[in-house]
Amino acid sequence: MQSSAELSTGFRPLAEPTADAGVSPRFAGLWRQLRGMAVALLLVGLTTAVAMILRNYLGILRGAVLYLVPVMIVSYQFGVIAALTAAVAGVLLSGYVYFAQLYSFQVASPQEALNLVLFMVVAVFVSHLANQAKQHTTIARKREQEMSDLYAFSRRLAVAPNASEIFVAIQSYLASLVQRKVILLGAGNDGSGAAAGTPEQLRAEVAKAERDGGDERTIIDVNGNTWLIRRVSPKTPAFGIVAVDLGSVSGDALAGMRQRIDDALADASATLERLDIARALNEAKMRSESEVLREALIGSVSHELRTPLASILGAATILHNAPALAADERLHSLTGVVRDEAERLNNDIQNLLDATTISSQQVRPKLQWIEPVDIVNAAVEHRKRRLAGHPVTLDLDSNLPIVRADPTQVEQALMQIIDNAAKYSPDGAPIRIAARSNGESVVLSVHDSGAGLSVEEKSQVGGRFFRGPRLAATTSGSGLGLWVANAFISANGGKVEIESEGIGRGTTVSIHLPLPAEAAPLEASIDE
Amino acid sequence: MNEIPSSVLVVDDEVQIRRFLRTGFELDGFTVQEAETGAEALKCATLKPSDLVILDLGLPDMDGSEVLGRLRSWSTVPLIVLSVRANEAEKVRLLELGADDYVVKPFGMAELLARAHSAMRRQLRASRGEPVVKFGPLSIDFAARAVFINEQRVTLTPKEYRLLQILAQHSGNVVTHQFLLREVWGNDHIDDTHYLRIFVRKLRRKIEADPTQPRILLTELGVGYRLVMSDAPATAPAAPTVSVAVPAPVPASAPTDIR
Repeated sequence: MQSSAELSTGFRPLAEPTADAGVSPRFAGLWRQLRGMAVALLLVGLTTAVAMILRNYLGILRGAVLYLVPVMIVSYQFGVIAALTAAVAGVLLSGYVYFAQLYSFQVASPQEALNLVLFMVVAVFVSHLANQAKQHTTIARKREQEMSDLYAFSRRLAVAPNASEIFVAIQSYLASLVQRKVILLGAGNDGSGAAAGTPEQLRAEVAKAERDGGDERTIIDVNGNTWLIRRVSPKTPAFGIVAVDLGSVSGDALAGMRQRIDDALADASATLERLDIARALNEAKMRSESEVLREALIGSVSHELRTPLASILGAATILHNAPALAADERLHSLTGVVRDEAERLNNDIQNLLDATTISSQQVRPKLQWIEPVDIVNAAVEHRKRRLAGHPVTLDLDSNLPIVRADPTQVEQALMQIIDNAAKYSPDGAPIRIAARSNGESVVLSVHDSGAGLSVEEKSQVGGRFFRGPRLAATTSGSGLGLWVANAFISANGGKVEIESEGIGRGTTVSIHLPLPAEAAPLEASIDE
Repeated sequence: MNEIPSSVLVVDDEVQIRRFLRTGFELDGFTVQEAETGAEALKCATLKPSDLVILDLGLPDMDGSEVLGRLRSWSTVPLIVLSVRANEAEKVRLLELGADDYVVKPFGMAELLARAHSAMRRQLRASRGEPVVKFGPLSIDFAARAVFINEQRVTLTPKEYRLLQILAQHSGNVVTHQFLLREVWGNDHIDDTHYLRIFVRKLRRKIEADPTQPRILLTELGVGYRLVMSDAPATAPAAPTVSVAVPAPVPASAPTDIR
């Protein structure tokens, strides 16, 4: 009974392996040994008490083997030194309890000498076995941890929606691997966030690694910590540079650490390669550069191209109306050409600007209540000259619900559709523009009786830069019109639909603007 | 049409724009002054006040809206703004700052002249205090608060009349949504554009021959409304983008044919 109670006491250190935390590492080993020896002596003492009880009350006179119990416990738990302590103390006390000169501490009989040797062999052997078993357990546990980390890492990689997520995963994975600081630079991020607390020396070294590439390198910072700096992938510079704080390690430990980091990064970059992240990263970089370029372009296009265009168009309108030129029909029509083409150029520039805004995803509709009929009238007015060659019929419901949309964007979209109708139907072919409600949305539709669409063309039309090959040679255009219209209407929560009965049988393109969920307030409530 | 030639101050830093504006205005009987910068414009406007100012927004020395603000602190001269981009918020801001109207570059000369004449006429009438104004078939007797279409009395609700009255006071020039909402419904309803949509629709049913093809009460998308004097002079036959020029007779029934 007593013995088993003590056994559980003896195992307690297992449950609290870090009880000596706070003692400096150098003394931790010594402290552990001393504690082991103390426990050994205590257990031997308890065994002696048990042995004496057995001998005195039960008459068991050959119980020296009992002393193997503390030897084995201690050797398993505290290693060879504590075990030998237990063996020696055990032999001495067993001599004291069992052998010739009762209650003396001499090793007198050959039996005792044999016991001593036997105990010591057991002590060394068990502690060795225990040590190995413990090492295996530790390694197994560590492997298990590493595997589960790696598994979590790859799961995180698999679900990462973008490169920056992946790099956060790499960073946190490496950090858990080395249990110290990890900084990742230059991959999709400029590292500015991470670089805030980074020593100057480290930053310089990272910059050098970024420039020169080449092999990994280590530096020792002002705090005496070793930093490993290397590319995430030696093959793909786009993945960036990683700097890992290895702490104050040296020699074999350093080599081991480097090996593990190499392995982890090899896995990570293989995953990145497989996911084709390099291309995505390069694209992202180019995108952000082209973003700047685009901003500059929008600014300069609107000003640099439109200012001379304003002079040309303004001057052309004056010439066109000048009495001196009106007298000569040929000259008069020429000034008309200058004016019309300048206007067309202006529309094309507007198209390009719209397309640029759309592809940079900066279409932000400014929603307001609009009268659908106003949109149609404005678009028709602005495309008056374009429609000049066609009889136009307007079929507008005077009692349409008002809708919430960005008036400029919807008008721009409708103008594109009107342009197309005029462009792809022969002179004199009628165009019908209607505004109706179908109960769910207000539908603005443009119907022409022109070129129409084949089934194949219908599936492709509306793609960016798509121009039907059938008519591309005979009509001019950028192929942006419907794409722009579609983008604007989608941004406003609506949709563009294209119908055609087939080649040469006309086309109907319609804009559907959803009716607002909550109807506009009743007229009575706002009158008076 | 003017006995004494009207004078216009053209403020633009682009020499080619000034050149064609000068020609255009001179052909229309104006005398033209030019200014290249905001500072120069303010000096000209002080030393030799003109009957009209054409102000470009992209000036090298100061923002066009600053020139506008300073000019408006002491002068009510009719002023048309030239803006490069069709930015509705910008237009509204300039109109609230006191511009009479705007024209988006590039523009046709006829369009600018139409806007200019409207702005000058409004100035003239404000100084004369005319009791009756006519917009084609529509006439408004401010003194009697009575509205007629082709000499027929039209019954309007007080709010409808107020709306029409404000538009008539700015006849020919655009009036912003915000201004109309503030004047008719008060400051609390400055964002309730649907009030305007509903009331304009009701007004059009009473004063337009075809409410879906308005000829008198026109919409400036995203900005506001304007009441058009259809006897406006600048109706050159094929003038570009003249949203004011509407001489065509209006068929009464929809669908409507337009050419």
